[in-house]
Amino acid sequence: MTSNMKTHAIDISSLRRDPRVLNMDDEEITLRVNDLRLRYGDKEALHGINMQIPKNRVTAFIGPSGCGKSTLLRCFNRMNDLVDGCQIDGEILLDDNNIYGRGVDVAELRRRVGMVFQKPNPFPKSIYENVAYGLRIQGLKKKRLIDDTVEWALRSAALWDEVKDRLHESALGMSGGQQQRLVIARTIAVKPEVLLLDEPASALDPISTLKIEELIHALKKDFTIAIVTHNMQQAARVSDYTAFMYMGDLIEFGVTDTLFTKPVQKQTEDYITGRYG
Amino acid sequence: MRISVSDWTRSGSPWVWLNAGAVAICIIMVLGLLSLIAVRGLGHFWPADVLSASYEQNGQRSVLVGELVESELVPAAQLRGSGVDVPAGVDHMQRDLFKVGNRDITGADFVWALDDSVTDRSYPAMMFVAERREWGNLYGYLQALKQDGELVAQHDGYAPGPEYDALWQDFQRRINRAQDLHAQIEDIQQGAIGSINYELERLRLKQRSLELKNVTDPQPYADIEDRRSELNAEYDVLQVQLLELSNALNRDSFVAEVADGRSVEVQLSKVVRAFLPNSMNIGNKIMHYLAKIWEFIADDPREANTEGGIFPAIYGTVMMVLLMSVMVTPFGVIAAVYLREYARQGFTTRVLRIAVNNLAGVPSIVYGVFGLGFFVYFLGGSIDDLFFPEAKPSPTFGTGGLMWASLTLALLTVPVVIVATEEGLSRIPRAVREGSLALGATKAETLWKVVLPMASPAIMTGVILAIARAAGEVAPLMLVGVVKLAPSLPLDMNYPYLHLDQKFMHLGFHIYDVGFQSPNVEAARPLVYATALLLVVVIALLNLSAIAIRNHLREKYKALEM
Repeated sequence: MTSNMKTHAIDISSLRRDPRVLNMDDEEITLRVNDLRLRYGDKEALHGINMQIPKNRVTAFIGPSGCGKSTLLRCFNRMNDLVDGCQIDGEILLDDNNIYGRGVDVAELRRRVGMVFQKPNPFPKSIYENVAYGLRIQGLKKKRLIDDTVEWALRSAALWDEVKDRLHESALGMSGGQQQRLVIARTIAVKPEVLLLDEPASALDPISTLKIEELIHALKKDFTIAIVTHNMQQAARVSDYTAFMYMGDLIEFGVTDTLFTKPVQKQTEDYITGRYG
Repeated sequence: MRISVSDWTRSGSPWVWLNAGAVAICIIMVLGLLSLIAVRGLGHFWPADVLSASYEQNGQRSVLVGELVESELVPAAQLRGSGVDVPAGVDHMQRDLFKVGNRDITGADFVWALDDSVTDRSYPAMMFVAERREWGNLYGYLQALKQDGELVAQHDGYAPGPEYDALWQDFQRRINRAQDLHAQIEDIQQGAIGSINYELERLRLKQRSLELKNVTDPQPYADIEDRRSELNAEYDVLQVQLLELSNALNRDSFVAEVADGRSVEVQLSKVVRAFLPNSMNIGNKIMHYLAKIWEFIADDPREANTEGGIFPAIYGTVMMVLLMSVMVTPFGVIAAVYLREYARQGFTTRVLRIAVNNLAGVPSIVYGVFGLGFFVYFLGGSIDDLFFPEAKPSPTFGTGGLMWASLTLALLTVPVVIVATEEGLSRIPRAVREGSLALGATKAETLWKVVLPMASPAIMTGVILAIARAAGEVAPLMLVGVVKLAPSLPLDMNYPYLHLDQKFMHLGFHIYDVGFQSPNVEAARPLVYATALLLVVVIALLNLSAIAIRNHLREKYKALEM
């Protein structure tokens, strides 16, 4: 990364890329954020965000620590509701319905918008029970159906071959990378529409990180993915669209290739060339 | 190289030594306590040799037969003051306590004697001890056996030989026979007759309740009457059987010569066991010792709790602690979940927490008074009015009993469970809760399926502390249901099997009763130690099983180490 910093942005020519040119106007939009403001007590953490998250694409959020990218991500499935003194204005439309509207079933929303956290957080149960947890919560009883879904989820998370012989052992005995893929499997098992990834690889070693990135590539045909990352290389590698945030504002949002090669805003350029952050 | 004091102080080693010393003192004290009660308590069951000696008191000579229990030094001045002739120049004299038994003959079980005036000590091999169901031990020489008043075997009681062996074996055989018969009688009385009485009482209550409801239909009354006469017929049959058995039981008796040379005749039905302590070898003594210990653990008490076993007290203690745990756990956990998870954290919850913590410091007798006033008189009285009007005026739940005692102790220990559970809940990583919520689980589902299982080791810790506190508690129990002798166990074969309204025995109260309320203090003292030891063992076992469960849970739900 040091060599890149001196010259220009990030070399994306080496990355495997869909040759098709992306254009936001052609996309089907899953999430629409309209003038979203968020306050923790007296402190405003998001100052009116407007953006769209396109369907079946990977949207990356980058920016320095404390810029509000994780906070924004946690707004998409109302995880911020759990924080005391958190107040939200504006709206987020999921398929044209405001998720902050009246009478929204938050549990149902969270089933539709799944989330994977920075540190792997498997439950202290068996691997199988971890994946089946969300299904059981939904009241699924048929063992066949649960078995099939667990297998599908583990295969989708590229974990099946590693764990198929020890499905009923504790999930806590797995490596960090495996645990994070298990958490992804657990999340996709309930078939959400959107997958929110909050720095999913930051606690992992390079090989595990690579596996997670490959997984993101594979998953985007089924899910709309939003990922927060500190690692710009990673954003450049995995995402189709990138949003750069700074101090609670969305500075620039566009096609990843363009944002990393020809950023419009001065702040974006400073950040991706490593001048601050 | 010399190290100055200030350097030494600064290095921290004085504090290490201080801490280590404190820990060492604690351990020594605990071990000392345990070994004191163990030695005092367990020694009681060892078959001591029986001494026969000549004893001179106030110029009179008599024969002293008994076991040496303890010795002490008495100041000579005190003895002179009480009129004993003590030679000049002697400061202290040794005084011995002998267990002489034969309470029915001499009137006292124990005798203090000055060591110097007990002379010609011997341990005659033919001296035998008979443990009896009443009047304590009998010490003497076996001389004859009688069946239906007729002499069947005779001996002078002093000369060993095959004749005496034959007599002794016959004696043992007859004791065993009497023991069998006694067991059969007990069986019928406790089992069949107990059930009949229980059912008769239920019938009486049923009839009374019909009368109270002004039922005029004669049919149910006739049914009750039929059943009653059936039971009475059964009872009569058993009565005849009992009579036969007790006649058979009273068939034999034996004659023994006791210390003052008198011959006494004793019914064999009164004898629990007889042995020749002075001619027992070490193996026999160990067997005897183990049998006595087993009797202590597994049998019912006799002779106002100073002899026999304490099984009902062990049973009552364990039963009450288990019931208390079953009651306190849900209460405590629900309260803690509300306080920690649902209640809005603020002034009110803080005040509540302080109140809960202070509850743990309220003296236990206060809980006893509360239990008596609220549970027994108010709740129990209301329950009686509503559900058991037929039993009135005698109370069913309106008097102390197993349920009220367990509830009172549950109340006493609920703060511990609340505090431990709250602690456990606060330690569950936020990430795990969020993981569950992010999958579409509601807060309640998350609590029930993820958080509480993970907090279960902490909950068990609370239960362990609760058990530790409750099992040793005596004061409140005296007000809400413990008695010195319960007629039956709270769990038996009569419907509804678990009798929550019954009074029960408890080891802690048993210690108090035997040690301080007993008519025969000297005989009871070793039992106080033995019972105390058993109480400690029972509490330790209860705690260990709870700890085993907790460790299992901990292994299962070990928190994420990240």
